[in-house]
Amino acid sequence: MEQAGELACIERVSKIYPGVEASLRGTKLEWKGPALWGRNLVRAASLTSSKAPSVHALRDVSLSIAPGEIFGLVGPNGSGKTTLIKILAGLIRPTSGVGSVAGVSLEQPGEIRRRVSYVSTTGWMGLEWPLTAEENVRFFAALCGMPGALARARTEAALRDVDLWEDRHKYPSQLSNGMRQRVILARALLFHTPLVLLDEPTVGLDPLTVRAMLALLHRLCAERGQTILLTDHQASEMEQVANHIAVLADGEIALYGTPAQLRDSLRDVTVIEVHTEEMDLPTTPPPNFTLAVEHVDRPGALGVRSWRVHAWKSPDALDQTLTWLAQSEGRVIFVAERDPSLHDVLALPRAQIKEQRASLVGDQQATDHLVAGMATAQEVDA
Amino acid sequence: MTTQARRPQTPEQHNGDPVGPAQPAQPASVTRMPWWRELSALWAFGLREYRIWQSYRVNQALWIANLFVTTLLFFLLGQTSAGQAQHLLGPAYGTNYMSFIVVGITANVFINTNLSDPYIRIQRSYFNGTMDLFLLSPMSIYTPLLGLMTKSILDDYPRLFFTFGFGMLFFGATFNFAAWPLALAFTVLFLAAGFGLGMLSASSFYLLDIKKGTEPVQFVVQQLLATLLAGAYYPVSVLPKPLQWLACLIPHTYAFDALRRLLDPGAHLDSPVLPIQSALPDLSPLAVDGLALLILTAILLPLGVLAYGRGIERARRQGTLTRWQ
Repeated sequence: MEQAGELACIERVSKIYPGVEASLRGTKLEWKGPALWGRNLVRAASLTSSKAPSVHALRDVSLSIAPGEIFGLVGPNGSGKTTLIKILAGLIRPTSGVGSVAGVSLEQPGEIRRRVSYVSTTGWMGLEWPLTAEENVRFFAALCGMPGALARARTEAALRDVDLWEDRHKYPSQLSNGMRQRVILARALLFHTPLVLLDEPTVGLDPLTVRAMLALLHRLCAERGQTILLTDHQASEMEQVANHIAVLADGEIALYGTPAQLRDSLRDVTVIEVHTEEMDLPTTPPPNFTLAVEHVDRPGALGVRSWRVHAWKSPDALDQTLTWLAQSEGRVIFVAERDPSLHDVLALPRAQIKEQRASLVGDQQATDHLVAGMATAQEVDA
Repeated sequence: MTTQARRPQTPEQHNGDPVGPAQPAQPASVTRMPWWRELSALWAFGLREYRIWQSYRVNQALWIANLFVTTLLFFLLGQTSAGQAQHLLGPAYGTNYMSFIVVGITANVFINTNLSDPYIRIQRSYFNGTMDLFLLSPMSIYTPLLGLMTKSILDDYPRLFFTFGFGMLFFGATFNFAAWPLALAFTVLFLAAGFGLGMLSASSFYLLDIKKGTEPVQFVVQQLLATLLAGAYYPVSVLPKPLQWLACLIPHTYAFDALRRLLDPGAHLDSPVLPIQSALPDLSPLAVDGLALLILTAILLPLGVLAYGRGIERARRQGTLTRWQ
């Protein structure tokens, strides 16, 4: 369980969501009224279970967060970030696994919620549209039992921190998306709880605001000694502020370490950016040093398709990639090779790298190095 | 980036109190928010509802118009059938059908709020994302349920005074307010039983995954049994005997009967109407009503609390507590 000096620690935590049945989709029949009541009553009494396949959101995830650090959790959509953060917030219970948050067992979600601030921008969580920005923040302070005078002072400080004090009398409908997001963030800043959990706080914000927000989090962490866990599906911003980063892929921790360690784990990988005319990729398999090929969506680039090829570093990687692409009908407009950034980590799911490892014989040493970077939290810490 | 050694400030709980030293992680009894802080959270809900009500001026006018129109409609319908219905009242409820119907309508509005509202409020909060906010705060899971109901309470409870006043001023309804403390006690019991049923109804949202459509508890108890059998618009005695016994299963029947006996000046306290009152001749009808309401409240209220708590816990385990996963 919790090691000395760790603010949060979980071991082999898994979460399985029950399957959502498509009902009788495709027909006009649905479970309704007494039939639905009866079916759900039987199911609630555990007499039957849903036949729909369950969703394995987290698989044996272990990690630890040290006090006073900024911990980044990155991963593509559906990788399990929100599930993990909700477990740490005491909102949902894990299916299996143990752990503690701020000295409280995961078995006591009520007690965890007293010691954790959680903010999610998903679905404008909890924003009361008939209340002004200031009233929204004050309302949440009151719900949490904060005394009036303290709530007033903290609300002002939080709104000033997110640069919304001048707009405090505006309703959410009068605010831009970014400003609404800052109102939600201000709610988390009200509390000086040991742990602050921020689920995708920078989604939809312009780069300047993102930078300002991350700087603010950095300052809070330094001044208040609060530990901050934030999730994002962009690793590049996380690199600026996080002390440790865990990359989630398919419900598992694929990579974990400091930003420098993660960058180092990619030192044998190269990225080839290719822009082509409208064309499909060749049907033949890519060269055997290729780790992943992703299509890059570039809005507005009419008639141009962009691809990103992740490959093991090799002197002829670029040439062989071009030779492979030439098998397809179409013209390559632009090609460039660069070192990978942390963002590229997300394009390299662990399973794919393991498969690649099996097929690579000559680059065994390089593969070993990359796979070693994918150790779990304990392995790296050890 | 290098990890800097930082000197943490004293960390706090949400309410600003300092967090105690981290205890070894082990199951222990959960510390709850003190009751006065739960009350202050409830107060915040009330202020929020007032603030919302205040900000929609057209709504205020519509609310008053709705109050007026629905009350008037009930009275006009009552007056139309007063002649034919009067002889059905029997010795127990006197001869004034307007007084009879005013009590029935008013008590029905009250119970409808307590019974139907918890599910509706939970459903709305879940779908517009505010449920996440409430369940994140350290308050008890029952506080938001009560807090969310303040809107309906503020909307519906004033109808009591409006309906009574309207009936007395314009439609010749007469009432005996001498026994108001006892009437108030019956009302409180009735509302508590109704809230128990309301929590049972709300629990079906998470326990039975009834997220949309018709909610079973509210439908069966309020729309089916209470509307047909409890005697809001006509005395239970006009129903066939088996249905009269069925009516004895819900708290509405006893509350309507008791309140009419206490508030209608022509009512008789010792004439039984319900079959259970006739079956217990040693007890006065009012005592039977009180006893039955007490028993039903003692069953329904803890059952509602338990079911709602189980529902939340089930959703917490399944991960379906909030809409946004």
